[in-house]
Amino acid sequence: MAYFIGQILPYITVTVFVLGVLWRLWRWAAARIVHDITLSPFPQTKGEVLGIYLREIILFRNLFKFDLPLWVGAWPMHMALFGVLGGHVVGIYFLGKQFVYLGASEELSKHLSELLGTVMGTIFLAGLLYLLYRRAAIDRVRQVSNPSDYLMILLLIAIVSVGDFMRFFPAYGIEYEPVREWFYTLATFQPAAIPDNPFFILHILLVQVLIMIFPFSKLMHLFGMFGMRWIVNRVQREPAPGLPNVDVAAARAKGIGLPQAGAGDAA
Amino acid sequence: MPSIIVNGVEIEQDEDGFIQNPELWNEEVAKALAKQEGIEELTEEHWKVVNYLRNYYLQFQIAPMIRKLCKETGFSLKKIYELFPSGPAKGACKVAGLPKPTGCV
Amino acid sequence: MPEYKGLKIPARATDEEMRKIHIEPVPDEQKVDKAIQYLDEIRKKFRSFVLAMESCVKCGACAENCHTYLGTRDPNNIPTMRAELMRKIYRRYFTPEGRWFGKLVGAQDLDLDTIMQWYSYFYQCNECRRCGHVCPFGIDTCEVTMIGRQILHWLGIVPKLHASVGASMERTGNHTGLTKAAIVDTLEFLSEEIRDEFGVEVTFPVDKEGADILYVPSSADFLLNPYTLMGAGMFFTYIGANWTISSHMTEAGNFGLLFDQQHTMRHLFTRLLHTAQQLGVKKIVWGECGHGWRAWKMYLKGMADLPLRWEITHIHNEVAYYIETNQLKLDPYKIGRPVTLHDPCNYVRACNLAETLRKVIRACVADFREMYPNREDNFCCGGGSAILFDDPEMYQLRIKFSAKKAEQVRATGVGKDGNGILCAPCSICKAQLYPMVEEHELGVEVKGLIDLVGMALVWR
Repeated sequence: MAYFIGQILPYITVTVFVLGVLWRLWRWAAARIVHDITLSPFPQTKGEVLGIYLREIILFRNLFKFDLPLWVGAWPMHMALFGVLGGHVVGIYFLGKQFVYLGASEELSKHLSELLGTVMGTIFLAGLLYLLYRRAAIDRVRQVSNPSDYLMILLLIAIVSVGDFMRFFPAYGIEYEPVREWFYTLATFQPAAIPDNPFFILHILLVQVLIMIFPFSKLMHLFGMFGMRWIVNRVQREPAPGLPNVDVAAARAKGIGLPQAGAGDAA
Repeated sequence: MPSIIVNGVEIEQDEDGFIQNPELWNEEVAKALAKQEGIEELTEEHWKVVNYLRNYYLQFQIAPMIRKLCKETGFSLKKIYELFPSGPAKGACKVAGLPKPTGCV
Repeated sequence: MPEYKGLKIPARATDEEMRKIHIEPVPDEQKVDKAIQYLDEIRKKFRSFVLAMESCVKCGACAENCHTYLGTRDPNNIPTMRAELMRKIYRRYFTPEGRWFGKLVGAQDLDLDTIMQWYSYFYQCNECRRCGHVCPFGIDTCEVTMIGRQILHWLGIVPKLHASVGASMERTGNHTGLTKAAIVDTLEFLSEEIRDEFGVEVTFPVDKEGADILYVPSSADFLLNPYTLMGAGMFFTYIGANWTISSHMTEAGNFGLLFDQQHTMRHLFTRLLHTAQQLGVKKIVWGECGHGWRAWKMYLKGMADLPLRWEITHIHNEVAYYIETNQLKLDPYKIGRPVTLHDPCNYVRACNLAETLRKVIRACVADFREMYPNREDNFCCGGGSAILFDDPEMYQLRIKFSAKKAEQVRATGVGKDGNGILCAPCSICKAQLYPMVEEHELGVEVKGLIDLVGMALVWR
């Protein structure tokens, strides 16, 4: 089982993910943007368009403005997610010594790396639990939910819980080095055995399930939001106002429309 | 499809009670349509509105602007609502045998 | 009263009426197969639709931001649920997850009941796009509504109101069925009215070849909104424009946008271009109509079969331009009443007119009060996409849909003394709000924006 999860499944996972996402994106790209259906705000330059993207991606400004209680959970959850993803890559690659480049000692760097990971992981979990609570407890959110919406959030909670558990109880945790070595063997197509830690193996299994489901789930909103914003937030220019052969001053001087000028002039 | 029978002639109506074939309209039909609108007796004032609408329709194939209807009959919009509780378009025009108005009205 | 298994549905066009707009209604037993076929064609064509189908995360942010849900608390009026009526079918037939794990992801076989649910709920959507505006991803649920209505149209399921407008468009070139004689008669009447009320001489040139400007009014103005036509006439006369109204193309709206974005919508597009060429005009100016302005602005370019030789601007933009350049003399104290502004959805969320409206209204009235939220965050009047149905049950829905608007108007206090003005510069908004301000007892009179311009003009 560990052999399958650690040495075979990763290749299947990556294949399913890459082909799945490409297939989905291709389906989107094959359909055209038929009409200019831009929405407010109406950016006048490409820079402003970029501003809208960044505002939505970094700040979730629409949620902040129109559904603050949701933003309170969704924004920290996503930021923690970005932090956790980045932390995994950087932490494992530098073995937790990344902060040495910022002037910290090796010891301090590792400590910081672990602290950051724990904090982010905790926020992530808290955010997910809050979102799960909303989905179950608030009528309008429960009404719009399908079983898959709950399963997705439960899967994420499971992944994060296992990860956080390994952080909070280092005795059951795992060091950076063996993980990095295992990844190297995977990347060079000479897969070695997965580090023998049941929690780590469970964590890796669940993550692979998530990655395989990704292209066939609502997680595609990661790409969908760019696609949709590309349609609704684009530069659109108005034709200039001002009417042909109109001289208001002359018309007023002639008194067009005033009774003594006669109706004929008005036309 | 609902319909009314006036003097032995069956006159088809749409779901809202507007008669389907405006050519079949006559004063008897107007009285029958008025009854459906809950107007028991067509008074002289009713007839003034109905006849104006009818004549305008025959000339222009459409109802007049409501402001014009008020001006030409001398009735305020409020008065027309008193005469025809469903209003000028859906009440008075119906009794006058005009087709149901379309568009943003 | 039309009803289908407890669903609220507007009165349907008969088969005969559908044939008048060139649709042969699909028999019930074929409807499901045909609907799936049409859906397949559409999903391959419209990216906006595919993305709306595949990117929603069901966060629920749209719910409390939709006035139809706020007014009815019907879960199917939550924008994402409305789209889900289509999405569950899309998933079932066009995605692997829906085909293999249908129950899990909420996929469902299409049946006649679902098609009638489409009819009920896609015609309870005002297509105001507020949900698209508030969605964190910008998912435009309006696109789903529009495509739902398109498929229903091809199946032969269209409200009587929309179908009869479609037939009228083809017969006369306008929604209300105005004939040239009626147009001329009404405009002559309005010339007299202007003389009586404002003491100025305005003539409305009809079909004048060699005019520089073609003004395209909403045909509803000829029946319901005298001051809008009068205001436009006074504006063009005041600036000394060589303008005309065409009896062939007397429609600023385009109901095609609302039920058939192909044949019906293109018909008016073509008609406009033919008319502009025949009259030899140099510029086309659009009248007060929300959905219509959106249609011409956003759809004409992609659908016209002829090169576009004319610039088309909205009359509000033109008025604002002459105000900004100090060429219009307006006296804001002439209208001594409190005024609030209802931002028509299509103007502010689709056409960037929010600031233009304010430039004009501030120049025309002294006591202008904003309602909140306003501009692009504004709520719809409840009549959007012409769901101006008057059968009793649908009329009750219209009252519920306008509840949010009533609350907003009340909060401004303009109707406190019963003499307020609710400026709603769009024909659908006007047609919806005329009865609704009475239903909600708001103490305001509904007017357009050009109405106010005409009233505030200083001629000497």
